[in-house]
Amino acid sequence: MTVIAEGYNSFATKKKPSGTVAYLPDPQSVIKLIQSGKLKDHILLVQGGTTTFLSPALSMGAIGVITMSGAPESHLGILSREFQIPCVMTAHLTESGSRYVTGGDNKAHFQEVIDKLVGKKVEIDASNDETGKIVLV
Amino acid sequence: MSSTYKERYRDGDNGLRFQDLVYQGNFKGMEPVPDGILGDRIMRQRAKSKVLEKVTREDVLRDQFTLDELNDLNNYLAWNIWDVLVMRATEGESGMIPRQQYEILAFMNEFYRWPEILDMTTREVGAEGVIDIGASARRQIGTKINCVHDWSIGAVGFGMGRCGLLALESIEPQDHTRESNSILKFMQRVLWGKRQDGYLLNSQDRYRCRIHDQDVIDSLVTQIEYFEPESDTAGQFQRFNAAAELLSFLDHYDCRLGLGDTGPYELPDGKILIIRDLFTNEEAFDWSDVCDHEGVPHCYSLCLVIDPDKMSLAEIRVNDISTTFTRPKNYIEAVVGGAVFVREKWNTPMSEIYNVKIKDLDKHLNGIQQATFKLYTKYSRMPRRTLIENGMYVYYIDMILPHLRQAGTYEKACKDYDFWEIDRRVANNYYEIDKRGFAAQVVPQKIFSGEGYLPFPEGTPLDRSKYLVR
Repeated sequence: MTVIAEGYNSFATKKKPSGTVAYLPDPQSVIKLIQSGKLKDHILLVQGGTTTFLSPALSMGAIGVITMSGAPESHLGILSREFQIPCVMTAHLTESGSRYVTGGDNKAHFQEVIDKLVGKKVEIDASNDETGKIVLV
Repeated sequence: MSSTYKERYRDGDNGLRFQDLVYQGNFKGMEPVPDGILGDRIMRQRAKSKVLEKVTREDVLRDQFTLDELNDLNNYLAWNIWDVLVMRATEGESGMIPRQQYEILAFMNEFYRWPEILDMTTREVGAEGVIDIGASARRQIGTKINCVHDWSIGAVGFGMGRCGLLALESIEPQDHTRESNSILKFMQRVLWGKRQDGYLLNSQDRYRCRIHDQDVIDSLVTQIEYFEPESDTAGQFQRFNAAAELLSFLDHYDCRLGLGDTGPYELPDGKILIIRDLFTNEEAFDWSDVCDHEGVPHCYSLCLVIDPDKMSLAEIRVNDISTTFTRPKNYIEAVVGGAVFVREKWNTPMSEIYNVKIKDLDKHLNGIQQATFKLYTKYSRMPRRTLIENGMYVYYIDMILPHLRQAGTYEKACKDYDFWEIDRRVANNYYEIDKRGFAAQVVPQKIFSGEGYLPFPEGTPLDRSKYLVR
């Protein structure tokens, strides 16, 4: 069992969703994934910690979310708890020292996380109240 | 398992820490301040006046704050903003709605435009009438006269507006002192009237907002349906709560104005009641037409009954932006009962609010999901500028809309004060907010961090104004 990334856990749960990581960069990609009927096959990777961007995915039954910024106090953190969708926020790679900086230029950091996670089959371990883990399966 | 959350209400208890960060603000060279109950105590100890202790009706009716009182409120609100928003500030850009951009414009427009509208409202209904606006929340559910709106008057309109303009170097710390008093007095009167325990903010009362009269609570709890947490009924209630909350955020441009929690109220059997208003359709917003088309009402009010022992509850906070947070975090698994009420319009009388049984929620859920998808599609096609302008209106209009409606001055504000207009200086700032990453940096680093809230300098005349020519 290899933990490849970790971050703030939005809430503790025994649920351990698994799927292939799909990066969603814009609203069109969110709509396209939902319309493909394969929403539940994927763990969703997004940049921000806000709610609106993922609204229809949350509503239509997303199984797990990874964000590259935000915290449990962010709107997506709050809503993931309400929907009971495991959500790891401000995830960083365990093998890298690169971290998200609030208000900073995070392009390279985001790209590093995207490159490492997208297409990988992973499981979210959200059993700890503070830290959520992304495990390679 | 047993809960320990009641220890938080004992004298001398410091509460838990919900975050590792600490607050410095204007207290350079002093020990930094943590979040929560301990942070509130330290901030009040550092105050020069008594404005942060329990205040009387006579105090609240007095028209003028002293300079120390203004600075104490400024410092406390800066800490309170940090306390509730510093972690949210890490969320970055939305990918859909440019929130930091609309937020900074709204903050500034509020600071420039609200004082004359709030002064007009005070003239129309009197200082006692403003207190009564707050008091009206004690006998209602589904009202936007709630924590987040009342807090926003001072924390956002005064605090963040002034902070943003100071950061832009558009104003000096001694400017707009009279207007600052107008905003903060209005906030103080509304909050005092709502709480009626002498405090203004939930953080002063260990994060409790127990404002409803007992007979109102008693009538609501008769409709509560109890269930096993893993049951289908629990799942149905949970899905409805989540979906309605999502739409309430979306209709308010991804902001907290759509959500209003009050409580925690302890029930006779030791369980905890949270009353949650989810504002799913606001008639003041033209984009809410999709909610009309799906038959979505103005507000769904939910009663959530939490079993504190089931989750070993260690602390519960209903914070000043109307949101419930707990430790451990996942209170949803400990919800053992619920009820849903509908308020069709903002002015539907309380006697016409009706209950929907949990088994009948699916029809409502479908309308909520359809409205959510249509609203999302609508936003995804909007130009960036429209999104920013609409978001700006959500803050600037909606934060004081319920108070003006209750006072009967909303129409006058629109007709005589061009309420829906943007101050020319703010309109021009539209072109500045993205330069050198101003919005993306200043909002999280100066405003939500509590760092840019400069005090009014000693000796500043209390009637110093940029509005009035005498």
